[in-house]
Amino acid sequence: MVKYGKVYRPIQARTIHKSPVNVGTSVFSKIYQNKRARYSLFLILFIILIGIFAPFIAPHDPIEPHYDALLSGPSKEYILGTDALGRDLLSRLIYGIQVTIKVASIAVGITFIAGTFIGLICAYVGGVVDNILMRIMDVLLALPSIVLALAIVAILGPSLNNAMIAIGIASIPGFARLTRGAALSVKSSGYVEASRSIGSSHAWILRRQFLPNVASTVLVYTTIFIGGAILDTAALSFIGLGAQPPTPEWGSMLNEGRNYIYQAWWLAIFPGIAITVVVFAVNYLGDALRDIFDPANN
Amino acid sequence: MGQFIVGRILSGIVVIFGISILSFLLIHFIPGDPVRIMLGQNATPDQIERLTVYLGLDQPLLVQYGHYISNVLQGDLGTSLKTGQPVLTEILDRFPQTVKLAAAGISFAIVIGFTVGTLAAKFKDTFIDRMAMGFAMLGVSIPGFWLAILLIMVFSVKLGWFPIAEGTGLRDLVLPSITLGVLASTIISRLTRNGMVEVLSKDYIRTARAKGLDERVIIVRHALRNVLLPIVTVIGLQIAGLLGGTVILEQVFNWPGLGTLAIGAISSRDFPLIQGTVLFMGIVYVSINILVDISYGMIDPRVDLSMKEES
Repeated sequence: MVKYGKVYRPIQARTIHKSPVNVGTSVFSKIYQNKRARYSLFLILFIILIGIFAPFIAPHDPIEPHYDALLSGPSKEYILGTDALGRDLLSRLIYGIQVTIKVASIAVGITFIAGTFIGLICAYVGGVVDNILMRIMDVLLALPSIVLALAIVAILGPSLNNAMIAIGIASIPGFARLTRGAALSVKSSGYVEASRSIGSSHAWILRRQFLPNVASTVLVYTTIFIGGAILDTAALSFIGLGAQPPTPEWGSMLNEGRNYIYQAWWLAIFPGIAITVVVFAVNYLGDALRDIFDPANN
Repeated sequence: MGQFIVGRILSGIVVIFGISILSFLLIHFIPGDPVRIMLGQNATPDQIERLTVYLGLDQPLLVQYGHYISNVLQGDLGTSLKTGQPVLTEILDRFPQTVKLAAAGISFAIVIGFTVGTLAAKFKDTFIDRMAMGFAMLGVSIPGFWLAILLIMVFSVKLGWFPIAEGTGLRDLVLPSITLGVLASTIISRLTRNGMVEVLSKDYIRTARAKGLDERVIIVRHALRNVLLPIVTVIGLQIAGLLGGTVILEQVFNWPGLGTLAIGAISSRDFPLIQGTVLFMGIVYVSINILVDISYGMIDPRVDLSMKEES
């Protein structure tokens, strides 16, 4: 028996692999086949790797001051120059990747979890619940998201964590509304109707039909929101309501740098390039993903 | 039409009512004792007591909100803790400056957006098209405050054309409004390009070309007009969005508008002022959106207004 089992196992595996349930592979191959998605994904992964291995890559400590090299320009020792405290700019930029990864995952994580939850509930339950939740979202959407974020920071007090929470919360209404829209179109589709009429349980429909089909749209929105979250957090840090010194956050580095635009141009240039490159890559990826998953384009 | 306008205004009022609850609750969401946080570490119990009573925080929540909303309806948004001025006076003092900045910004955005979008469509799928759309993509990815710093470095520090001043004159307006314009132009240029590409393939454009008309005339007189409509809505929404965009940029350019007022209020924990600016911005934002919706219905007779209500 054991022998037979061994013989049959690979065949079984192959059948499972071919079954239509396995959406994962086709999604990845779809993404991989798109040139723009592939390039931007590689760039993002590359940047993340640099961030993770920052302690091995950064030439200096990001916080340690070098009093013999205050505001010194790019040189062999300090490749991108130093700031007013003599801290190595390149090292601060590299460690800044870690802060950015944190921002992207926590702020967008909050938006993603709460936004998807509210959006799905609204679309699936409908009726009064939908009405009440959407009216609350309308109120929150009636403020520019950065103003809403500022209001939340005003409540919580300025810090990087609070800025991330604020940005995360401020983006929930927009995200919830988009998810609701996507979910509504799935809900009204024929196959959900059919499942319901043969008596499938709510949980089953949600898990097996609803979620997988809403997922691709939500994935696109999430990517787009990451770019916005990074920009907004940098903006809050820039005006002093986000990351506090000595955290190597790119927005607050630009804020420090703008006081020295006459003496030290590099402080006002390189952190900005860092933000722009990362956000550009994420937006580019989002754009490509939208092309891949948007049914209108197929 | 009349029914739509009334409905739109009513739903706007409901939203503004919601914003008033939000701005009222702001102070109650503060973890810990809000009065202690406003007054700082060195406050005496007597000071805390007096501010608590002054702000009415010793009363039940509903009573507090009743006071708040009846004051707001009478135009009383409270008094700034820092300057002792009425909040509404402070806001109305700053508001014209923000309007000025946003108006100049949207003008730049329209000029840049139409130019870039038309060029991209005219030279579709060429190097110019890719450059233009890359520029649009860059516009959404670049932090506004950094673009501002770059412009200051080039035009103020290097070239000395626009000195970094504290004023609000025409010359001081140039750099901030260019920054805003570039940021807001990206979506306009994208829409212009896509609309233009579609229109340029239409028969009447071919007819116009066959007549031997000048290409510039074709684009401006025949094509652009037909592309305009959807873009007008977006421009309207952009104006509302610029209100948020100015908040950070005002800080970079030391522009005495609502944004610097709000950020200053947050830094000094001046809660009546924070509540007031949030409420005020919300009302302005909602009003603009209502105006945009209504004007859109008026410009384009094809728009089914009852459908718009639904979505």
